[in-house]
Amino acid sequence: MTALAARLNAAAQGTVLGVQNYVRLAWNALRFVFARPFYAGDLVQQMDAMGVQSLGIVLLTGFFTGMVLALQSSVQLRTFGATQYIGSLVSASIIRELGPVLAGLMVAGRVGSGVAAQIGSMKVTEQIDALNTLGTDPIKKLVTPRVLAGLIMLPVLTVLADLVGILGGNVIARVYVGLPSSFYWRTVWEQIAGGGFSFGFIPNDFIQGLIKPFVFGGIIATTACYHGLATTGGTEGVGVATTRTVVAASIAILVSDYFLTQLLLSVLGA
Amino acid sequence: MTQPGDADARGREPRRTGPRDFTETTERRVRATIRDALAEAGGEERPRAEDPGPAEGAVIELERVHLGFGDRVILEDVSFLARRGETIAVVGESGTGKSTTLKLLLRHLQPDSGRVYIDGEDIAALSFTEALRVRRRMGMVFQQAALFDSLTVFDNVAYPLREHTDYGDDEIEARVREKLAFVDLDPDRVMDQLPSELSGGMRKRVGVARAIANDPEIMLYDEPTSGLDPLTTGTITRLIMKLQRELQVTSVVVSHDIRSVFRMASYVAVLADRRIRFFGTPEEMAASDDRYIQDFLGGF
Ligand SMILES: Nc1ncnc2c1ncn2[C@@H]1O[C@H](COP(=O)(O)OP(=O)(O)O)[C@@H](O)[C@H]1O
Ligand SMILES: [Mg+2]
Repeated sequence: MTALAARLNAAAQGTVLGVQNYVRLAWNALRFVFARPFYAGDLVQQMDAMGVQSLGIVLLTGFFTGMVLALQSSVQLRTFGATQYIGSLVSASIIRELGPVLAGLMVAGRVGSGVAAQIGSMKVTEQIDALNTLGTDPIKKLVTPRVLAGLIMLPVLTVLADLVGILGGNVIARVYVGLPSSFYWRTVWEQIAGGGFSFGFIPNDFIQGLIKPFVFGGIIATTACYHGLATTGGTEGVGVATTRTVVAASIAILVSDYFLTQLLLSVLGA
Repeated sequence: MTQPGDADARGREPRRTGPRDFTETTERRVRATIRDALAEAGGEERPRAEDPGPAEGAVIELERVHLGFGDRVILEDVSFLARRGETIAVVGESGTGKSTTLKLLLRHLQPDSGRVYIDGEDIAALSFTEALRVRRRMGMVFQQAALFDSLTVFDNVAYPLREHTDYGDDEIEARVREKLAFVDLDPDRVMDQLPSELSGGMRKRVGVARAIANDPEIMLYDEPTSGLDPLTTGTITRLIMKLQRELQVTSVVVSHDIRSVFRMASYVAVLADRRIRFFGTPEEMAASDDRYIQDFLGGF
């Protein structure tokens, strides 16, 4: 019993230490955004790696999700004779929830694992030590550009995924339900406008749909860098770091999505 | 049996005479290894201190350093020093804290107690930025070379120059070419290659070129020859000796390769059981009565 208590205590202490280190890493990464030297080349490279190279999978996921949403809701709506609302349903679900979450999960799998593997193998081959020795702060050089790239690129990817997803709904509405495209897009716009505006012109749905991926982008990049830098134990350790990154980032995205939604709904008053 | 506590300020063990309880075979093998190594070294002069003196003039000094990770004590009361142009070889079994010792010198780690001096300056007291200034004068060659694998050979060697100097592109290129030539690599052939395209020995040489790009006064090597074939091992050893000779650098070499240690070391420090078990010239090491030292030599 005491052995169990001691183990639990040790585990709890380990967790607290881990969280402390994670928070310190995230804080330093953001602090260095405003410190010299700024590695602009690395930022551009990371934005390319995260954004451009994830574009394919994010668009594909978005398109099929939009189609399946339209298909499912057409069945439901038909029973009420309300199939003309497909556009509203699809756009609301995609812009508020599915776009950000799916783009987040795809990027966590594609980019998070890649970043963790890259930094992890740099760690186990002493390249991180080499950076330190050559007078470079590895956080400034490696973590800050990746976190910035995540913060910028995930919202961009999400907007594109939203667009393609709504387009996917359009295809299904047109082909299976026979809804004219012009009508579909009008219901999409009515849905967005119906959510209300902040500052008089920014649709609340867009605010929700952009704050979420911004947060998710930060979560993915910091989680990946944290696990990458914490890698020990050779090649095997790199595998462990990638798996941990994808699992931790995915869970963090889904959990924070709930709390973000609750917070945004109360702030935006929807 | 010598005790670490007997060591004088230099960490050198007092000479003892006692019963030799190691077997004759071991002794013969050890002597042969040493004779070969010394013969191979040939005319190449080994940098050596005239005679041991006070700690002033030391370029590198560890003074009664203690270090542990958590509850585990790694180093206990470790002291040694190196003067300009000297080469200290640190040998010992795996996990005895040799790499840790190098990290202390680079201030990647701080001792729990004791001091680390570089040119008489206590580096524990320095701020992060000041530590960078000290680090800039040191070059480190890593065990697995630790080249940045996303950068070409040129960019690897140019890295410290771009990071620490405001040289223009021409100046940087001239320097990179000079350093690559120094380590016997053909600049035009390797400059645009990625580290993954190079052999282990070439990677190690690029690692040396990167480490000397800033003309450091102090060189640290972590097992520079481990994992290399005997021929390449000889090449790297000669390269280290060339650096000693031509650039007068002060070096600390962690090595498992007793042959190259005997060729290049001014002094050998044997780390065992958290302490400096032996500190002395290669000849003194060969003549040591310490059973552990003899077993250690015999093991090669
Ligand atoms: N950052 C660290 N945290 C905990 N233990 C460490 C750390 N670095 C090294 N060690 C431990 O310290 C001991 C000495 O390591 P090291 O200096 O790498 O040995 P070696 O003599 O083989 O180079 C090893 O047992 C290693 O596991
Ligand atoms: Mg080591």
